[in-house]
Amino acid sequence: MPPNPLAQANHDLWKEVDESGELRYCFNCSTCISGCPASEANPPLLIRNLARMVILGLEDELLEEDTPWTCVTCSRCEEMCPQDVKPFELCLAIRRWQSQNDETRIPPSIVEIYHRGYTQAVEKNTEQRKSLGLPEKLPVLTEYPEELKKFQEMLMKNEVIKENDYMFKSGE
Amino acid sequence: MKYGLFLGCNTPAIRPDVERAIRVSMPKLDVELIDLEGYVCCPAFGTFPSTDEEAYLSVSGWNLSLAEKKGLDLLVECGSCYSSLSMGREHITHDEKKKARVNELLAPTGRTVEGKSKVRHITDVLYNEIGCEKITKTIGKQLDGLHAVIQYPCHTLFPHELVGFDSPPARPHILGNLVEALGAKVDHFSCEYTCCGGAGGFHRSSAIEAKTFAQRKLDAIKQETKAEIVVVSCITCLMHLDNVQKELNEGNGNYDLAVFDYNQLLALCMGFDPQQVASICAIPRDKIIARFS
Ligand code: SF4
Ligand code: SF4
Repeated sequence: MPPNPLAQANHDLWKEVDESGELRYCFNCSTCISGCPASEANPPLLIRNLARMVILGLEDELLEEDTPWTCVTCSRCEEMCPQDVKPFELCLAIRRWQSQNDETRIPPSIVEIYHRGYTQAVEKNTEQRKSLGLPEKLPVLTEYPEELKKFQEMLMKNEVIKENDYMFKSGE
Repeated sequence: MKYGLFLGCNTPAIRPDVERAIRVSMPKLDVELIDLEGYVCCPAFGTFPSTDEEAYLSVSGWNLSLAEKKGLDLLVECGSCYSSLSMGREHITHDEKKKARVNELLAPTGRTVEGKSKVRHITDVLYNEIGCEKITKTIGKQLDGLHAVIQYPCHTLFPHELVGFDSPPARPHILGNLVEALGAKVDHFSCEYTCCGGAGGFHRSSAIEAKTFAQRKLDAIKQETKAEIVVVSCITCLMHLDNVQKELNEGNGNYDLAVFDYNQLLALCMGFDPQQVASICAIPRDKIIARFS
């Protein structure tokens, strides 16, 4: 007999992912998939299946899933779900759960934001801005070193960031 | 009318001609735009909202507090910024525990957040505060005879209780009406209300599938309409629908739909220099720009 994964499942997984428990009202209707652009990705994002995985407690499978990261954040599923499961919020909650349980999931973009307030180099394209008649500099965070420091101290109080502070210190 | 201008990062860093268009066109309609000192990433959904909720809300709170201190609502063009800030604000205003925690995190930075500043999308302000009539009066019907199609930004539609201002949410019309106020004829087509597919990891992780997804919309526009331009009001829709045509043309595609942000068209109709307000693009806009010379 092959092992039964459900017997070894983590039945509290839904609490770890989303305390509100909204996803327990999911009745697998697939409405969230039918309008989802990322359901056409390869492999497809099937938010219904992810909800099922969480409810059944299949944590190893959930940790392996790359599909939540293909979501285009359009919130169509959120609008259409008849059970108010808030599938888009669930998608973000799964990403957070993955980031908290596997540091390689932590998006490198948060390190950029920590260092300069932004992912794009807003402060760098001064020449182009000038040619368009724009102020060369915007009043972004990097213009105020004192404030940038406060911003970083605020972020450092956060669990995930504190636990992985090596990511934020390198490059300083 | 005064708003705190929230530009996000893609507009000032990659498409600053859109920033220029917004900065010159809005004052002509009596909207004063105030810059916010020390603003940061909205934060984008793929960043802190995908890592930790407290970090997410403290960054939303940081941005909202800047507007709140000046007693201003925020004006946003980028769909992702608009949606992330709106959702962040919702969590902060409707959950006392989260509000208290965010304020605890903000306190050492000398900031507080109540949620008094609203987050407004630029098309909401153009339609509901300024109105089509005033727009037409200000510019005249300059685009007479031009056929256009609309890309409605998903982030301004769903979930409608939180971000919406158009109705019905799944059959929006506001951006179309704004384009008609410039004199253009808006054509309708079968994929009108689908997503552009440009945000998040879809295009990055599944380039072929994401291109096919966009191609379906572009083919529908070509086959079902007389449109020469696509009008958007979201920096992601703008960059994606423009760039994806070029990508498809590098294969065996043949797409030449000029893509404009609404404020770029508005600024052109107001007589501003095309070089400054509409010069950055992948698919040439020369034919359309020539109408204004
Ligand atoms: S639409 Fe809602 S109820 Fe239906 S499968 Fe998706 S999450 Fe579950
Ligand atoms: S928000 Fe994400 S999961 Fe929901 S429909 Fe859009 S792409 Fe799909």
